[in-house]
Amino acid sequence: MSWNEPGGDKKDPWSGRNDNKNPPDLDEVMRSLQEKLGGLFGGGSGGGDQTPGNDSVFKGLAFLGAAAAVLWGLTGFYTVDEGTRSVVTRLGAYVGTTQPGLNWHIPYPIEQQLNINVEHQSFIEIGYRSGGGQATGSVPKEAMMLTKDENIVDVRLAVQYQVKDAKDFAFNVLDPASTLKQVTESVLRGVIGHSDMDFVLTEGRSEIVQAIKTEIQTVMDSYQAGILITSVNLQDAQPPEQVQGAFEDAIKAREDKQRLINEAETYSNDVVPKARGKASRIVQEAEGYEQNVIARADGDVSHFSQLLSEYKKAPAVTKQRMYIEAMESVLGHSNNILVDVKGGNNIMYLPLDKIGVKTPEEIQQQVINHEPVPAPAAQTSVPVKTVKTDDRAASREHDLRGR
Amino acid sequence: MLNKILVAAGALLLLLSMSVFTVGVTERVIKFQLGEIIGTDFQPGLHFKWPFVNNVIKFDSRILTMDSTPERFLTAEKKNVIVDSFVKWRIGDVKVFYTTVSGDVNQANVRLDQIIKDSFRSEFSKREIKQLVSTDRSIIREALITNVSPHAKKMGIEIVDVQVKRIDLPPEVSNSVYQRMEAERARVAREFRSQGSEEAERIRANADKQQAIILANAYRDSEVLRGEGDAKAAEVYAKNYSEDPDFYAFYRSMIAYRLSLGKSGNIMVLEPNSDFFKFFKNQK
Repeated sequence: MSWNEPGGDKKDPWSGRNDNKNPPDLDEVMRSLQEKLGGLFGGGSGGGDQTPGNDSVFKGLAFLGAAAAVLWGLTGFYTVDEGTRSVVTRLGAYVGTTQPGLNWHIPYPIEQQLNINVEHQSFIEIGYRSGGGQATGSVPKEAMMLTKDENIVDVRLAVQYQVKDAKDFAFNVLDPASTLKQVTESVLRGVIGHSDMDFVLTEGRSEIVQAIKTEIQTVMDSYQAGILITSVNLQDAQPPEQVQGAFEDAIKAREDKQRLINEAETYSNDVVPKARGKASRIVQEAEGYEQNVIARADGDVSHFSQLLSEYKKAPAVTKQRMYIEAMESVLGHSNNILVDVKGGNNIMYLPLDKIGVKTPEEIQQQVINHEPVPAPAAQTSVPVKTVKTDDRAASREHDLRGR
Repeated sequence: MLNKILVAAGALLLLLSMSVFTVGVTERVIKFQLGEIIGTDFQPGLHFKWPFVNNVIKFDSRILTMDSTPERFLTAEKKNVIVDSFVKWRIGDVKVFYTTVSGDVNQANVRLDQIIKDSFRSEFSKREIKQLVSTDRSIIREALITNVSPHAKKMGIEIVDVQVKRIDLPPEVSNSVYQRMEAERARVAREFRSQGSEEAERIRANADKQQAIILANAYRDSEVLRGEGDAKAAEVYAKNYSEDPDFYAFYRSMIAYRLSLGKSGNIMVLEPNSDFFKFFKNQK
């Protein structure tokens, strides 16, 4: 293996750099490479003291060696993509992390580099698989967990992470991704187990997410796994399928409660204003009644006192007139039956049930016919009937007049 | 000549390759000299050894995982729980690790599993499910690490972490949990509906109460007004009518007769020798 030769006899410029702990500078390396190559060829052509045979053999050998060294050196170039870091080890020992761009390292077997994407957002899923085209859905074994109040909830969580430290990520933990998954499962169950079911299902979500995130990060940091948790999403936190119906009913019940209250409010909003309206009417009516009664009293009194003053001038005649007029009005408007009780003591038969039906032959005597001449006294009393507002007022009227 | 050089160079290279070894960042190395361990503490990098006399064995220095299979444990209240856990460990003393478990990670895992399960059993039997699930997780974790670490140390293992992944009820218990949850939800639902009825009834009753109060107040006010009116009227009547009570009685009676008697359809049975008929019977 001629390409390896320079490494053996310490002429090789690269092996000499092994002591140097700094990563080799590209320019410097190129320059020294050119120098050495130039020196080899220049020295070869200028050296006349060596035997021609040996000289040409060495020359050829040196040329081959140099060419091999150049080719070998060229294999040390590598590019690091944006968002990636490269971890370089020399003979197993870590020498540094290189940034994106074109880089050079001492080629294999001395130095090795490993590109690690530090900005790529990877994710793990707990309790479900959204898997690329594969069967998706719940993974009950992961998703079902106990809460503090010994209920079971179905939780689905997604954790996004990226590499925080390429060196830690590469060297400290075997299989950091599956470690993260184990830790997440453990932390998730720990946090859920610390909370009551209602809290998990309703208002506690953001708090839980925050707690999970912090705790995963703490544990992963304690492993120095070089992982940064960027986000934790509680995809779903639900009661288990077996009890969904009951939970839905409970939610419906909550709505029912609100509905009942709203209905009652509706009733209340209907009844109270109506009552206020009615109350207003009652009071207004009473006021009307008050005014009515007083005004009527004034009217009645005025009527009476005027009549009284006339009466005083001729009491007997006025009284007689008023009596006759009243009788006229009373009898003129009713069916009258005149019975002379003293005239005969024979039993008189009055078919009272038939009297209402106007059959004149049944009636023994009909003395006076209607006379549609209204008496002045009657006229005054007519408005009393028409003014009345309701039955209650009318009844009061009678009470009052009655005393 | 050329061949000689090549052979010499080849031999030298072979010898060199046999006399050096590298230690990676993720490696722990034991150096033996004719079977005897003469070195374990190697920094990452290039190291020398004598060809044929020395040999090296490499181990992984990273954090490894012992992911135990889920197993049933009894809790303090004699309930079964299924527990799934994992242990994070790394090689502590590589020499001890090599001698006790032959440097075999699988063997180490099996041994760790046994130790950890024993520890689990004792920790779990002290606690009830509620404590296991919620309050005592970190305490159990600490206790397990403390319990297991000395045993692990004897195997050259350093325990980094012990985590309980799952504590689950066995399926047959889960079903009764579901039933209980269902019953509880039913209770909650009933409670909500009853609360709704309660609140609704209260609101309705309040509305009815207000209605009653408003109407009663209105009645009171109206009666006051009516009373005032009636009183005023009575006062006016009394003041004026008392001027001539006899005439008032007559006057009022006449009005009353007209109103109460003089209606069509009424039938009056009269005696002809009343005052009214005085002229009707015998004109004198």
